[in-house]
Amino acid sequence: MLWFARGLLRRVVTTRYPRRTDAWAAALPSPPAFDSARLTPELAARLVARCPNGSLAIDGGALVLDLGGCTGCGRCVAEGDGAVRPSGVFELASSERIGLVKRIPIKGARK
Amino acid sequence: MIQLAWILLAIAAVSWLAAAVAGALEATSHTRPLAYLASAVGAVAALVGGGLVAVHGVGAERTFGAGNLVGAVTLRLDPLASVFVVLLGAVALAIALYGPRYHHDEAGISVYLCVYNLALLASLGVLVAGDATLFLVVWESMTLFSYLVILRHHRRPGVARAAFLFLALGEAGFALIIAAFAILATRTGTLDLNEMAARSAGLSSGWRTSIFLLALVGFGFKAGLVPFHIWLPEAHPAAPADGSGFLSGLVINLGVFGIALFGFELLPRGPAWWGLVTMGLGALSAALGILYGLMERDLKRFLAFSSIENIGIVVTALGAALTFSAYRQEALATFLLLAALYQALNHGVYKTLLFLEAGVIEHSAGTRDLDRLGGLIHRLPRSAVVSLVGTLGIAALPPLNGFVSEWLIFQGLFQGFRIPNHAVGILIVVAAATLALTGGLAIMAFARAFGIPFLGMARSREAAHATEARQPIVGPALLAVACVALAVGAPVVLTVLARVGRATTGLDIRSKLIVPKLTIIPGHTDFAGFSPTYLAAFLVGIAVVPLAIYLVARPRAATRRVPVWDGGIVAFKARMQYTATTYANPVRVTFEELYRPDFHVERASDDPAGRSGPVHYRFKVMPLTERFLYQPVVRAVEWLAELVRPIQSGDVNLYLLYVFIVVVIAYLIYPY
Amino acid sequence: MNEEQRLAEELHHRARSLFGRSLHVRTLDTGSCAVCESEIRLLAAPPYDLNRLGFFFTPAPRHADLLLVTGPAVRAMDVAVRKTYEAIPDPKLVVAVGACALGGIWKQDALVHGTVDDVLPVDVYIPGCPPSPLALLHGLLVAVGRLEEKVASLSFDLREVTP
Repeated sequence: MLWFARGLLRRVVTTRYPRRTDAWAAALPSPPAFDSARLTPELAARLVARCPNGSLAIDGGALVLDLGGCTGCGRCVAEGDGAVRPSGVFELASSERIGLVKRIPIKGARK
Repeated sequence: MIQLAWILLAIAAVSWLAAAVAGALEATSHTRPLAYLASAVGAVAALVGGGLVAVHGVGAERTFGAGNLVGAVTLRLDPLASVFVVLLGAVALAIALYGPRYHHDEAGISVYLCVYNLALLASLGVLVAGDATLFLVVWESMTLFSYLVILRHHRRPGVARAAFLFLALGEAGFALIIAAFAILATRTGTLDLNEMAARSAGLSSGWRTSIFLLALVGFGFKAGLVPFHIWLPEAHPAAPADGSGFLSGLVINLGVFGIALFGFELLPRGPAWWGLVTMGLGALSAALGILYGLMERDLKRFLAFSSIENIGIVVTALGAALTFSAYRQEALATFLLLAALYQALNHGVYKTLLFLEAGVIEHSAGTRDLDRLGGLIHRLPRSAVVSLVGTLGIAALPPLNGFVSEWLIFQGLFQGFRIPNHAVGILIVVAAATLALTGGLAIMAFARAFGIPFLGMARSREAAHATEARQPIVGPALLAVACVALAVGAPVVLTVLARVGRATTGLDIRSKLIVPKLTIIPGHTDFAGFSPTYLAAFLVGIAVVPLAIYLVARPRAATRRVPVWDGGIVAFKARMQYTATTYANPVRVTFEELYRPDFHVERASDDPAGRSGPVHYRFKVMPLTERFLYQPVVRAVEWLAELVRPIQSGDVNLYLLYVFIVVVIAYLIYPY
Repeated sequence: MNEEQRLAEELHHRARSLFGRSLHVRTLDTGSCAVCESEIRLLAAPPYDLNRLGFFFTPAPRHADLLLVTGPAVRAMDVAVRKTYEAIPDPKLVVAVGACALGGIWKQDALVHGTVDDVLPVDVYIPGCPPSPLALLHGLLVAVGRLEEKVASLSFDLREVTP
């Protein structure tokens, strides 16, 4: 019986999702978000090299992020020092595979 | 009506004699169809004749040849025996219809047909014998002819030994039956059965008890009560399928008839402990029969153990009837007698059916081993349906006949509280609990006995190529129809059995048995009740009505057919299925103390997981009664024989000395 | 063709919404590392409790409405995947879970297809490695039409204002 009281005191309750999203959801591993103002071609190339499974690529004047391959490892966040931050998004389901491929314009890149 | 019954039974006897003659001449003069026809005619005559006597409800007696050299022969038509005559007719008819196709391409069958029909004749004789001598003569003939029936395939290994075991135990029982009749005849001063019954009340209780116990054990040998049952699992696989059907359907029921004869007619109103001993033997047989049966891989051996179980149930009901009678609960005693007769009748019908079907399986799939069969429902569809009816009957599932008779027996046992003696009441409850255990195990056993051979995939090539062409179907199908009729027509059957009960115990319990709206009640108006006819109609209705609604109103969308879901594995092999041994494994583990199995595992090498080759696994159940009863007795007899052996020295002089000594002793004793 | 496609889409959408309050989910592992399975299993635990949303796990594909697939579809599972998919009665949904199933980790070779798209018609993709149980809940609710997809309108450019 004590575990019951302990749990309630520590606010261990069932999540209210989808009616309300818990605060800690934003801290879960999530795909990166990029500051396109500081995304130089050199930084973009370094980020592409750093991604372990090729979810980042450069195509035309944009950095292509494949959300389908992103594991949320955070190496690009560490590499980008400030230009890349975790997006905190977890509602990523899509009925189109194409919808999971995102383009972020590279600053000063030729198209 | 009774005249007609006499005539019909005479026709039956003559037909079977003619069939025996036709069978004997079959090798030389193509009289085989005539033999089957005569057998069938006799069976129908016996069926109708027995039915007439049962319906008439009053016995009759006739004496032939009084005053001639051989002595008079008394025949009697007894309602109690007539139930078994009806069973005899039904079993014989089914076998006569089954025989032509089953024995179709067999040579050398003349002796078999001859002795089989003579066995039928002898069985009829047992049931109509009116005096003790005739009874003993035909009983022994029945044993001998059955022994010859078992010996049909005498050149196969094990058959001669099995038949000999049957004969030896039959003779042991016969010796005890002779003793029982001898004591009864000398004490009452008459050989006529009806007279014995009338005069037996005057005997001292010591004599009555010894007669009853001799009869119980003597007929118990024939009925297959534990521990006198060891011939059954050997003899049934050895005999041909129709012979096994005859043995299980009729011969062991004659043992039950003998016990009922002594318990209810010749020695009525015995003390309660007779009933308790009978009930105990019956309950023990029921439990042990099905427990050992579950461990069998051979289909016929399993069916033999199931016969032991069912006889146990019948004898339990008989024992309970005797107990109730001792406490003056006459209505319940008669009720349980009727329930026992009903169960015996049902058992005869569905067990014969199952043995005949086992014969079909053996002939078409080439094996009786459950672990080599499988998928026969696709290869032998009609036999599967007929077997299913028999299986549902013997597993006592509603609405078939096994359920009706077992319900009656249970309801009778549940009323043990009406006996003032609490200890006896508790013993009756224990017997009921044992029957409940056997009922549950029987359902599992028969799910196994039907499911493993018929369902799933074939476990061997022979089973995969089994064919139904030229396999007999009419005989078993007739018995399947009888199963349904005995269930749905239970009120009719019970009305007739009530007349039998009235003739045997003097009490007519029809008003306490069947009430309006086709409902059956167990001997008391405010205890329980159900209607097998309406139950059958209801069960058929709840199966048919939704199906009809579906067929009429189903959506007309396109259907997509896909294979059965098998877990998504690449290929389903027959070896992946349950085997008969593994299906019964939980029971083996639970009752390990009883079975004391002997395990033997052989591996090609010690490489784990048998990667180096096949692993052979054998286990053998310890046969309790053989180890602890028969082998010690046999050893004791052999020891005694060794002791006495020096007398038979072979020396003629010593033998002359023996003769001299005996003459001197006789000379000295004679004057006294 | 366009009208037919539109009708088929509408029918499919209608069918999906039929499952809204009662959906039976059958999981299928086509060669994953089982971490996605752990997250899926966690859905039944009290913190997430998918039963309160009307979703249930079932082992029998005959009873299932939705096939939840993880793993990069190894070729050894081809027969099992086909049999499981065919055993599910129509209408049915297929949801691919995890980076492996979406083709982000493995490339096609002799042993593996690389993406579940190659073997099954997928209705909803749930990215993540593994997707958290909340992401899985979102994906399942999208599959039955109780929540709208968001990712199309999301921007991963911090300078862009997201509606």
